[in-house]
Amino acid sequence: MTTTSQTSYLAPKPRRGTGLTTWIDRHLKLVFTAPAIAFVAILIVFPIAYTVFLSFTDSASSVTRPFRFVGLDNYARWLTDFERFWPATGRTAYFTVTALVVELVLGLAIALLLRKTFRGQGLVRVFILLPLVATPVAVGMMWLLIFEPSIGFANVFMKSLGLGPQLWLSGTDTALNTLIFIDVWQWTPMVVLILLAGLSTLPEEPDEAARVDGANAWQRFVHITLPLLMPTIAAAAILRSIDAMKTFDIIYATKGRTGGSNNEAETLNMLAYNESFGNSQYGSAAALLMLFLLFIVIILTALTILRTKGNRA
Amino acid sequence: MITRTRRTRFALAAPLVLALAASMTACSSGGGDSEEVTDLTLIAANSPWTEGLKTLAAEYEDETDIKVNLEFYGNEQLNDTLKVKLNAQSSDFDMYGYQVQDVMREFSRNGWLADMTEYVESDAEWNWEDFQQSARDAVTLDDTVYGVPVMTERHVMYYRADLLEAAGIAVPTTLKELDAAAAKLNDPDNGFYGIAMRGAKVPLVTQFSSFLYSYGGDFQDKDGNATVDTPEAKEAYAAYGSLLKNYGPPGATNMGWPEASAIFAQGNAAFYLDADSQAYTFLDPASSAVVDTVAYGAFPAGPAGSHPYSIVPQTVGINEFSTKKDAAWDFIKWVTSEENSKVLLSEETVPSARDSAWADDAATAGFPAGLVEIVRNSEGTVGHDRPQLEKVALAREIVGGPAITAIEGGDVDAVAEKANTDFQTLLDGEQK
Amino acid sequence: MNATTETVAQRTAPPTTPSSPSHRVPASRRRRKRFLLPTLRTVAIVGVVLLFVLPLGWMLMAAFKTNLDIVSPARTFDFTPTLNNFNTVFGAQNFAPFILNSVIVGIGATVIALVLGVPAAYGIARYRIRNATAFVLLARVIPGVSLLIPWYFLFSQVQLVGTYTALILTHIFVTMPLVVAIMVGFFEGLPEELEEAAQIDGSSRVGAFLRVVLPLALPGVATSAILAFIFSWNNFLFALVLSNQDTRTLPVAISNFTSYASVDWGGLMAASVVITIPVMLVALFAQKYVVAGLTAGATKG
Repeated sequence: MTTTSQTSYLAPKPRRGTGLTTWIDRHLKLVFTAPAIAFVAILIVFPIAYTVFLSFTDSASSVTRPFRFVGLDNYARWLTDFERFWPATGRTAYFTVTALVVELVLGLAIALLLRKTFRGQGLVRVFILLPLVATPVAVGMMWLLIFEPSIGFANVFMKSLGLGPQLWLSGTDTALNTLIFIDVWQWTPMVVLILLAGLSTLPEEPDEAARVDGANAWQRFVHITLPLLMPTIAAAAILRSIDAMKTFDIIYATKGRTGGSNNEAETLNMLAYNESFGNSQYGSAAALLMLFLLFIVIILTALTILRTKGNRA
Repeated sequence: MITRTRRTRFALAAPLVLALAASMTACSSGGGDSEEVTDLTLIAANSPWTEGLKTLAAEYEDETDIKVNLEFYGNEQLNDTLKVKLNAQSSDFDMYGYQVQDVMREFSRNGWLADMTEYVESDAEWNWEDFQQSARDAVTLDDTVYGVPVMTERHVMYYRADLLEAAGIAVPTTLKELDAAAAKLNDPDNGFYGIAMRGAKVPLVTQFSSFLYSYGGDFQDKDGNATVDTPEAKEAYAAYGSLLKNYGPPGATNMGWPEASAIFAQGNAAFYLDADSQAYTFLDPASSAVVDTVAYGAFPAGPAGSHPYSIVPQTVGINEFSTKKDAAWDFIKWVTSEENSKVLLSEETVPSARDSAWADDAATAGFPAGLVEIVRNSEGTVGHDRPQLEKVALAREIVGGPAITAIEGGDVDAVAEKANTDFQTLLDGEQK
Repeated sequence: MNATTETVAQRTAPPTTPSSPSHRVPASRRRRKRFLLPTLRTVAIVGVVLLFVLPLGWMLMAAFKTNLDIVSPARTFDFTPTLNNFNTVFGAQNFAPFILNSVIVGIGATVIALVLGVPAAYGIARYRIRNATAFVLLARVIPGVSLLIPWYFLFSQVQLVGTYTALILTHIFVTMPLVVAIMVGFFEGLPEELEEAAQIDGSSRVGAFLRVVLPLALPGVATSAILAFIFSWNNFLFALVLSNQDTRTLPVAISNFTSYASVDWGGLMAASVVITIPVMLVALFAQKYVVAGLTAGATKG
């Protein structure tokens, strides 16, 4: 990162010119960033404060019914719950990490494949977008039908390959992995899209220089392309990990509110949703949501630290 | 600099947030009608009743110049919408459909359902007494009426008449005979299964209830204590589970009624035990391969007799926060009148809750004959199909567990005992 | 980053033939290699496209099947197509207004998200305000469940429930962080020399942003726009609670096909197909800007 040029051209300059442009220039940082931050702040403050407030109460059934303050009881209850909370945490971690890794690797490979201009590339990109575009609710029900053990296409396909039928979404051991497959299918296109955009702005000179100097494709990729692409990969990774941890639509559509009969697909978000809208335990759900939030923030911080370390390297 | 502005922003926001929170927890008053009513809003879950409502609402507007706005959702979506809006004391809608067993206790205690006792007793011509006793009981809690039942539903046995005839099997009248028949017709190697039923933990509870009652058990005793670990209950769990385990399709524990009924509709199961409201799927050529071969039988008897559930799945109530309660009642009264109930029964095949509708042969003509028989002979039916407490959803998760164990072939007795303990704890917690 | 400054200073012109290796290879083998690689590439591209599209092909076929055929594996390919499902979608379910609602909310949310998000990302990238990205991302991190009741309450206090405004505002809330996250990565990858050069030439900072940086960032902007539109289009939870029958958007309308005692699979699939088409059009339109950005990026130097 070039630090010397930063201070020089960003420092306020005395200029003559139209009042508005000069004023904006001098307050560029604020003018550009404040609206977005204010927008988020306004909409987020009340819900967060309210959730924190609820998490210390035993509010249930209706938020207008009398409730008591129970301090940290809700939190203690979840943290000592080894039947639902910790397994859900484990599943969330497993689902997120696996899906993320697969999507990044696959996404990068596909982005590199599609990078060079070729005929029909606009059309190809639109086709690749389709899994993202199809309504998640409908996509969930589609996969539910496809993966149904006795009437679904998946087992027909397996049979034609000479393999035995699987339980897919219906099996306690296979449900989560099948869901990861669906997630990869649905979201890799987004990673591809982001990475393609990033690749398109990479300067070509370093790559050409390396090629002329005799580096082969793999070396060029690892030492030139990858480091330059890091900010974009990091952006894709952070976005996907947030969304993956909060995956809701496909689990809800295929396994229902409880994440399946043995809670085999119950992640933290599903558990919170069930606690809120299924059991109407608003206080307890709020505490769970705060824990979930904490969990996400920890992961994000870890990712950001990794990213800054990677940048400095 | 950002942190400083964030701190100041927080300082400004805090009092605002507290004020909002305070106003949210304050009570708001519903009331009678203050001004001229020109429109009403009703939200409900899609069902045959709401289909009929679309035509009726248009008629009502013609007659009274009051526009009735209808918003329909899927079941789960309706539940979520109601919880969000009613928690915020919304007066956006005036009437709503709800599932009485799931939410009436909770909603009435929350003050979300208007007291309709006076309304229903106000008009003798409309005749509240014409509604089936069990239906009236279902919508009444502590002598207060919270809604008008608009649909009824029973547990029936769908079966393939052609296959039974071909194999020389008599229509089962007991659960043991059902087991034998399913065993004989079961042919998994050819993708044909003896029986299809719900196997997912929460959905199966309502269908399991009939088994429970027919074995002489119940979810709770008359004092409201948990009784899912009685010998009768354990036998019922084992019976339900073994049917699916031995003669059911693979992946049964992931099946709700959409999946299980699809297997029967496709012609891949000999028996299907579930609510009679699904009969129409099997009679629709676009959705069913068994249109001509499906037949209906009463729920088979267990050791304690045949005691299937007969419940009210859809009820319409008035939003306590509505400002147009009287007008809302007028609409509800009109839509559930004797005349309109018969219309709904004959044209939209809505299983009415009124005795007069079922007694009318012309009205029931559109209903499959076999089903009408079963409805008219509803002796020994039970008015509830799930545990009766406020936290029904949680209770269903608990009492559904032993059935899953039975389907998977585990130790039902142990799991049933633990389930009972958990259920009792839940019940105890609710006494407060 | 240092590599960039170095090479920009050192090299004067881009190399002439990118695919001319400097070591000796017999001409025939070179020709075969030149033929093999592109073919492999085409095969791989086709394979990837098929992988993503085939399940949706199943959905497309299902849209033309009766409910019975959909649940019969034997009728996966062998069935009599019917237009009934589409009749239901546009007739009984009357989807046309819902499509319009989704389009209005989607465009509104995307445009405003871009207007708010792109400059914010630029400011964050150039001024290294790490915390700001994290704060904005917080909007995406919050599980929707905790937002529903407070937001419904807020919006009902100001009489905004059931309006496009409420929907657009809540959709901006989830799409703008996306725009910021993507564009920050983008802007960080753009060398600052270009803006410096423009300013030395007398442009204001804002001017440099508008005239030099934005055109270069077009692929990123188009990409964020597409993704923002898609997320708004598919958003279900907020629309469920904040829309009424006049402003109901498509994902909520999909639930019209699930009834108390029946699921209209065919109708559901047909509705999904119908829902997908407008977004595809938007994506096709925005693609032009992404591709345009490609060529622009190749000639900068």
